[in-house]
Amino acid sequence: MSAMLELKGVTKAYKGKQALRGIDLSVEDGEILALLGPTGAGKSSTLLTSAGLVEPDRGTVHLAGRDVTEAEASSRDVAVVFEGFNLLPVLNVRDNIAFALRSPKYREAEAEIATRVSRTAELLRIGHLLDRDTGTLSGGEKQRVSIARALVRRPKLYLLDEPLSALDLKLREGLRAELRQIHREHGTTMLYATHDYHGAIAIADRIAIINDGRVLQTGRVDDIYARPADAFVGRLIGSPSMAFFEAEISGGGVTVPGWESPLDLARFGVTRAQGPVTLGLWPEDIELGDLGHEGRIYALDNRGYEAAVQIETQAGMFRKVLEGGPVPVQGETIRFRPKQGAGFLFDRITGALVSHQEGR
Amino acid sequence: MSASNTGSARITRWVLFGLLVLYTIYNLGPILWLVISSLKSRADLFAMPPKLVFTPDFSGYQSVFGIGAAKDSAASIGVFRSLITSVLVSTIGTSVAVMLGTLAGYVCSRFDFRGKGDFMFFVLSTRMLPPVAVLVFYHMMFAQLGLADTRIGLILIAVFINVGLATWIMKGFFDGVPREVEQIAIVNGYSRMYAFRKLVLPMVKGGIAATAGFCFIFSWNEYAFASILTTTKAQTLPVKISTASGATGIEWTQICAAGVVLIVPVLIFFWLIRKHLLMGMTFGVLGRK
Repeated sequence: MSAMLELKGVTKAYKGKQALRGIDLSVEDGEILALLGPTGAGKSSTLLTSAGLVEPDRGTVHLAGRDVTEAEASSRDVAVVFEGFNLLPVLNVRDNIAFALRSPKYREAEAEIATRVSRTAELLRIGHLLDRDTGTLSGGEKQRVSIARALVRRPKLYLLDEPLSALDLKLREGLRAELRQIHREHGTTMLYATHDYHGAIAIADRIAIINDGRVLQTGRVDDIYARPADAFVGRLIGSPSMAFFEAEISGGGVTVPGWESPLDLARFGVTRAQGPVTLGLWPEDIELGDLGHEGRIYALDNRGYEAAVQIETQAGMFRKVLEGGPVPVQGETIRFRPKQGAGFLFDRITGALVSHQEGR
Repeated sequence: MSASNTGSARITRWVLFGLLVLYTIYNLGPILWLVISSLKSRADLFAMPPKLVFTPDFSGYQSVFGIGAAKDSAASIGVFRSLITSVLVSTIGTSVAVMLGTLAGYVCSRFDFRGKGDFMFFVLSTRMLPPVAVLVFYHMMFAQLGLADTRIGLILIAVFINVGLATWIMKGFFDGVPREVEQIAIVNGYSRMYAFRKLVLPMVKGGIAATAGFCFIFSWNEYAFASILTTTKAQTLPVKISTASGATGIEWTQICAAGVVLIVPVLIFFWLIRKHLLMGMTFGVLGRK
């Protein structure tokens, strides 16, 4: 596999406000890469730069091996689904979908356009809407039309900016499955920006985590679980996300306030000898029971088949889902302990992973 | 308790109603008076007490529109020529100002360039300028350039007083059009020019209409420049009305008829653009963000 899209050191500032601080990102040919990050992390700017709609201050953009940093957006052969506004109000649904196929750049014969538009509309189940005005569509229908306009063409790369975030849960899941299906059938390459962890793991082959204008980590979700590169990654991945405890490296161990005994430092593979750190544990690696450290049930969300609890400890709060077993009551004191060998240490200030450094 | 409440509420309502009636008379009275006077002959006009029932005399309107016998009579003050001047100056001036304002407004909405803030302020300041302050210099300039007392000169003035406002209003409307419109066009293989002409312009049709309405009314009503920069040949209707006198003295019937004619286009324009009026007055800020 080769990289379809490759961004190197891309920076962008808007009126002195730094949006991208050196984006390095590579989307392989035929994969869906989810760009996962909170609002304002730089997802849209990354997509717009890839599309050529925003000119980077520094850095390069390669598309299918060609340097397109300076190339016009209309010559890049990418399709974009924007986050908010997508449909041209002066055109009806059919002409919106056919829009690219009538352009000077991607023109097709009218007969071919008709076939492709109806086939794509069929795929997204909007065939009955083709002659409607865009103003009369519901949010879900609008988003389907936007996606149809992107899919009617076979561009090198699809750039999807939160294409489903405005939709309700059921529609979102349905459309996500359809996108995945189309991807499987046609081997499309997609860069899919989202702030939704569930959406990202459901659709993507790989995930790139972006925050504050930088890509913190790119990889398959199991690789990210195995070695989160930054505390922020832990905060974004998982449901619930990573549990964090204030800790301190000293005397060959990791001390956590309120925990009876320090953790053995050797198992973490840390290169530093002392200082404040943050201990990160995936909730799945925390066992609740009669043994271990003390915590208090701060909040409880009983969903019937499972219960999500928020547990307050001296060193920090964390959330965990309990499947089966007795449901605790709010305010109850419980005990918890990390599984053998689990846990990551992060720099308290920068958030960078400081454990698991051996062999690197 | 509740009875006295509804009683005082009713009184309040009647008082308010009365005040509204007075206010309406205050506003509409002069206009009604004008319309009635425009239909009276000279004799009826000065009758004391004022006649409410009289035989309508259309000679005033005939001379305003240059029809019938009245236009060539010695009493004619030549309002017809002024009407033509006003129509030409206002329509051509408005068209040019709206065209320039649309282009400038688009650029100011979409592109950043050095000194944009200063430029926008300068553009607006042309609108705040008290005409009287610069009239003398315009008069000298126009005399030098041979533009004094010409329709071309007044058209230039109409463009000047309107292009700034047109730029601002149109910028507001363009700001209301999402940038994605052009982005969608460009990504899908079109040029920005295509996006502007075929996609963005149709979305601001209403804004263009509202802007044109405002510009037309401003140039139609413009008095200060026209009064100083014209003497006889290129007088606009408002100037003509204020200076009009014929061989036989002040022709009130013609003046009143011209006054009515002056009001009508304003009414028509406001009626046509009433839907876009609020939008235009708020400079399009109600559109988006």
